[in-house]
Amino acid sequence: MKKSFTLIHFYGRQLLSLVLLLAGAQMLSAQIRVTGRVTDAADGSGLIGVTVREKGGTAGTSTDVDGNFTITAGTDATLQFTYTGYALKEVPVEGRTILNVTLGEDPFTLEQVVVVGYGTQKKSDLTGAVGTVKSKDIERIASPSIDQALQGKIAGVYVTPTSGEPGAGATIRIRGTGTLNNANPLYVIDGMISYDASFINPQDVASIEVLKDASSAAIYGARGSNGVIIITTKNGKQRKDALISFNSYYGTQQVTKKIDLMNAAEFGQVYNEFTNSTYFPSPASLGEGTDWQGEIFRNAPIANFQLAANGGGERFSYNASVNYFNQSGILKNAEFERITARLNTENKLNSWFTLGTNLAYSNSKKQLAPTGVIGSAYRISPVLTPTDSLGKFTDPTSPYGLAIANPVADLFYKSNNHETGDRFFGSVYGNIKFGKYLTFRSNYGFDLNGVKKKDYTPVFRVSNSQLLNDDRLYVENTQDRRWIWEQTLTFDKEWEKHHLNVLAGYTAEEYRFDKINAVRTDFPGTGDDLLFLIESGDDPTQTGGGRSYDEALISQLFRVNYSYLDRYLLTFSTRIDQSSRFRKDLRRKIFPSGSVGWNIGQEPFVQNLRIFDRLKLRASFGILGNQNSLASVRYPTLGTIQSGLYAIFGPDEALNQGATLVNYANPDLKWETAQQTDIGLEFGFFKGQLTGEVDWYNRFTYDIIAAVPIPDYVGSGSNPLVNTAQVRNIGWDITLNWRHSAPFSWNVGAIFSPVQNEIVKLNEQRPEIFSSFVQGEPATRSAVGLPIGAFYGYQVAGIFQTEADLTTYPRFGNEGLGDLRFADINGRDASGNLTGQPDGALTNDDRTYLGSPIPTLTYSFNAGAEWKGFDIAADLLGVRGNQVFNAKKTFRFSVYNWEASEYAGRWTPENPNATTPRITNGGSNYRVSDYFLEDGRFVRLRSVLIGYSLPSSWLQHAKINKFRVYVSGMNLWTSQKYSGYSPEFSNNENAFQVGFDNVSFPIAKSWQVGVDMTF
Amino acid sequence: MKYINKSHKKAVLALLLVALHFTACNKDFLDRKPQGDADVANFFLDGNQATQATNAVYNQLRSWECTALPYLGTTDILSDDADKGSTPTDALYMLDMDNFTFDPANSSISGVWSGFYRVIARANLAIQRIPNVPAMDETLRKRLLGENKALRAYAYLLLVQWFGEIPIITEPLSADQYYTQTRKPVAEVYEQIERDLTDAIAVLPLKSKYPSADLGRLTKGAAQGILAKLYMVKHDFPKAETLCLDIINSNEYSLLPVYRDIFLPTGENGAESVFEIQAAALDPVDGITGPGATPFNMVQGVRGIPNLGWGFNRPSDNLVSSFELFDPRKSATYLEPGNDLPDGSAQIQDNPEIIGERFNRKAWVPAHTGLQDNGPGNIRILRYADILLLAAEALNENGKSSQALVFLNQVRQRARATAPAFPPGILADITITDQTQLREKIYRERRSELAMEQHRWFDLQRWGRQSAAMIAAGKNFVANKHELLPVPQKEIDLSDMVQNAGY
Repeated sequence: MKKSFTLIHFYGRQLLSLVLLLAGAQMLSAQIRVTGRVTDAADGSGLIGVTVREKGGTAGTSTDVDGNFTITAGTDATLQFTYTGYALKEVPVEGRTILNVTLGEDPFTLEQVVVVGYGTQKKSDLTGAVGTVKSKDIERIASPSIDQALQGKIAGVYVTPTSGEPGAGATIRIRGTGTLNNANPLYVIDGMISYDASFINPQDVASIEVLKDASSAAIYGARGSNGVIIITTKNGKQRKDALISFNSYYGTQQVTKKIDLMNAAEFGQVYNEFTNSTYFPSPASLGEGTDWQGEIFRNAPIANFQLAANGGGERFSYNASVNYFNQSGILKNAEFERITARLNTENKLNSWFTLGTNLAYSNSKKQLAPTGVIGSAYRISPVLTPTDSLGKFTDPTSPYGLAIANPVADLFYKSNNHETGDRFFGSVYGNIKFGKYLTFRSNYGFDLNGVKKKDYTPVFRVSNSQLLNDDRLYVENTQDRRWIWEQTLTFDKEWEKHHLNVLAGYTAEEYRFDKINAVRTDFPGTGDDLLFLIESGDDPTQTGGGRSYDEALISQLFRVNYSYLDRYLLTFSTRIDQSSRFRKDLRRKIFPSGSVGWNIGQEPFVQNLRIFDRLKLRASFGILGNQNSLASVRYPTLGTIQSGLYAIFGPDEALNQGATLVNYANPDLKWETAQQTDIGLEFGFFKGQLTGEVDWYNRFTYDIIAAVPIPDYVGSGSNPLVNTAQVRNIGWDITLNWRHSAPFSWNVGAIFSPVQNEIVKLNEQRPEIFSSFVQGEPATRSAVGLPIGAFYGYQVAGIFQTEADLTTYPRFGNEGLGDLRFADINGRDASGNLTGQPDGALTNDDRTYLGSPIPTLTYSFNAGAEWKGFDIAADLLGVRGNQVFNAKKTFRFSVYNWEASEYAGRWTPENPNATTPRITNGGSNYRVSDYFLEDGRFVRLRSVLIGYSLPSSWLQHAKINKFRVYVSGMNLWTSQKYSGYSPEFSNNENAFQVGFDNVSFPIAKSWQVGVDMTF
Repeated sequence: MKYINKSHKKAVLALLLVALHFTACNKDFLDRKPQGDADVANFFLDGNQATQATNAVYNQLRSWECTALPYLGTTDILSDDADKGSTPTDALYMLDMDNFTFDPANSSISGVWSGFYRVIARANLAIQRIPNVPAMDETLRKRLLGENKALRAYAYLLLVQWFGEIPIITEPLSADQYYTQTRKPVAEVYEQIERDLTDAIAVLPLKSKYPSADLGRLTKGAAQGILAKLYMVKHDFPKAETLCLDIINSNEYSLLPVYRDIFLPTGENGAESVFEIQAAALDPVDGITGPGATPFNMVQGVRGIPNLGWGFNRPSDNLVSSFELFDPRKSATYLEPGNDLPDGSAQIQDNPEIIGERFNRKAWVPAHTGLQDNGPGNIRILRYADILLLAAEALNENGKSSQALVFLNQVRQRARATAPAFPPGILADITITDQTQLREKIYRERRSELAMEQHRWFDLQRWGRQSAAMIAAGKNFVANKHELLPVPQKEIDLSDMVQNAGY
């Protein structure tokens, strides 16, 4: 059928040509020989095997190993260049005999190949929701890790920097927060499992695929429920000469904003008010005082150098790279540098056996600055100076209390704190082909990660509370080891209208962690060469400790992909996992999924409409697990006896070992499970200029393991874990792109990811989880119908402005004039039930839902353009719908500094109409209330870049393929409501405590200049 | 090789890999155990482990909750013996304890609740499992069970005095019982304490019968003393009298000749010691605190110069003025600027951060290894003088005032031993036999003898004098409310328990 159609089509064309030929013989142009070279727009290297055809004609050829071609075509013909995965290009000959063409990758093409678990698929064949980012978009972000580079790139992928510390990663949430526990995605790097991708050099990455729905992630079964991020590093390409590339950038970073704190004059005034004294006889004369933030932050450089070689022949191909990255922190003394090296090879040993390797080594060095100084700088009195007139660090404790440390002194004494990491990561695989359709693959992956920490603090004394009497060295060595061995068998056959792909596999995995740490004090000197442990067993100043744990996983996997006529698509996959984390009879679970797709756009009746370039509808459903939900609890079902609970007995005060169960365990613990439904629509209009993808999903997680708070009378040292909770995330992933090609090519894109996070169930006995205690009171209450970690506390109704207010409104009792007045919104009836009505008294019942820490919408816009060698790109991203708890403001135990806004509007007897409370450090003002909640919405110019590539005609003599220079900026502009540095406060450890500003290392804004060269 | 064609080769290679794979992952591949720690199912296998589990109960008695701000905030500071102390703004939740402005969320209150329930939980596990430990010395088995029961009873006695009705938990709770506990009538709590102590008294050795290395474990005398306290709380004076006389007649204990020596390192586990929480300043692992310390000394230590601690638990003016004239126990109770430290190592300077600073001398410890955190002082929970005064009180209540005088005057006699010779008659023997008048004398004697030793609040409670004493001390005490502490808010939020009246 198809064949005959083509034949008619073919002869039809011929007939048409003949008619045209006869009708206007004089119009027939002269035939000329056109030669040229097709190069890759990305690196200027020649592209092998590009199909070159005259538009409307039959003549065709393809490029050789250098990208060269020769074709005979009419002088006014148009040549078409097609290459898998690249945008089609049409170039009019216009009488030229030499025609050089560059082709760029087309992220929107139907032919795009997408990496999925244990294989690849054409984008058009996909039935699951998979997001892709190509290297070009990753490299634009000046960051040592790919997770930060993912921010705002894929719908449904919400990325938050964990901190601005150099080398720090990010928290990634795919399609909402699916669990109360570890909601981090799984990483699969060139087929090797990992829980962290921070060591991957972003410039080695070819593409990142995010498996978002159950169908695509189901092949990772027990670890797929938080989504899977597949990272594929660059592979060798067949070319005549190796392509050598050099990339580098250098830039400078600074803090995005400073917090507006009271200056010395204001502090003096407030101190007098607070202590009811004239300690500062003339506060105004104190002036500005010290800008402590200025004392600890700095402009910090960032630099990156990458040298890579890529090449190969028919049987052997390789990609090799070396990278050096160096980033200083915007907090003084924070430093990070990393060297990475990578070698990817593939060897076709014979007609049936292929051997490949992906090997990466990374060596990182970090100097950790004491991040507590950021909090100290926020709290310390601006009246003080870092050092006194003699150059000694100022003792800030008198009269402001022992809890205050001089941050500049801490930076000076506590920065000899280093962390060195060596990581060897990779895989070796062999592919055996049995006949035409069957391939056996054995893949052995390994990950060796050794981290050494060395932290030395000298003897110092700044104050009675900021001191060290014995100098001290802490040393810690940790080693992570993971290996995976996977055997898979793939059957792939196309016949007539059918395409069948079947995968079956068996995998085993083992992980082991070992830590040894030791402390030595009282050094004979402070030279760096002395700061080591010594081989002296009897040295009483030297002590040690350690920790080890392990886990194992065995899995079977199975997947069928079937398509009919390329239109009707069907996928079924399942994985059976057995985990050592659970009790023997509960450790095995099946994770099935199924999905269907319909390429409506290829139906004749739709093609006839001539509206859609593509149109695909797909739907999937599946069940996934979260085996890693308890990242830090390795043996969650076993009640571990804790030792070291010593008792002292006898006249010699001898240490007697004590050991018992401290933290209660739950032996019945089982898998945390998620089921997800996804319905997606992919479309393209206007000859592919407008493309889009819209997905609706419903992700329901159940049996969520929760450390449910239990009454203290149980006597457990920690809250035991229970499979209890259910969470639902319903949302949309919307991606829209418009692109316009030659002569002036530009593109704009938008991503919208609205999501509603809701707790469906917690625990039969306790429908709420109180958490994040601030001075004894919970600041979050997670309950059915609310988002995870919803803020909870009193609502501020106003200020006790007058004496009359004090008698009119209900109080706790210790409020005075100028204090916050909380709303009385609830009470209890005679039988103790909540009435929802004011009862004239302030009680715990008046606490209520105050907001959510989880954004209801994340969005981003991107734009790019290329014109005559110039390229520009920009990314904008934002979130809405979340609140931030300004926890740093709740600690006023002693006389700390206040924010300027609290000074300006504060209640005083002279300013009785104030809406900001009086300055105080006790009473009820610091109870958990919406006074500390702020709007978390922001919009940020994530990146902006302008580049210029020198014309190739200039470069040819220097044998340079490509030379590009650029200027780029990150986080240059942010519009935020929040008063702190940045409103992003992720928490990888505790889902109940997200959006808490406890003063973390703020993110930076930066400028870079860079150069890309290929030879 | 001819016979093996290419496809055979492939199959052999593939099968070899698969076979290797299965060999590498044998059937125990997925059975993983904690490394370096036992799990609870594999513990209590011998007498050594049973002893370790018991030691862990003593360990909890050294915790922050059971010895530091939570404990002091709910004993001395709550009572008229002491003020919050420290700088005016440090740990304001402790000021709320001092002033009776606390609410159920106060962390001093939740601290002792959780701290002592953890003592109970550790003891519960030991009491449940020790009977089933295979092949252990039967004497040791009985003794350990006795120790655990006495420790559990001690925790319950404190809790019932603080909170009134409380949940009675005597076995490790299973998950379905976590939220369902209810507050049990005080009488039932008393019964539980009495049962545990009766069992303990039957099996625990006398202090002198313990091997020296076990000095500091719960003894028969200690269990009797705690039970005597319970009877005093219950106003069961005949039983209290019997027990106190038993302890006295056991000849296990005597008063130290010099009162202030009790609180020196040399006084630890002395002849007068019935029950002490054992602590020691051992070499600190981290340069700060060692494995045998308590924060008890640090939180009460002299704040300023010399800098020995945080200066909480300030002996109140009310206490200082309550001593009889020239009572040597007065100056043995507190330290002020201008005083020398008990070992003469330094003189206390005025600290401008604190007005009217005064420190608990009985919590002072001499210089030791590690920082302040490495507090080595044993906490004197039950002294023989306490027993003598309980005996006197019980005898007087039982109408045996002349017998009561014997023990009362033993205490006074020791106290005056170091008093100046002039003027004569300091702390003279008491001769009043009128029950009511003698009661007042005994009450006053208790306060002077046991000041700043965390007894006062409980004494006032069982005498029914909290309200009068607190109001006299100028505190915001509300009668029929503040006699008991509120159950911590978290516990109310998490369980079906009902809050105490007034909170």
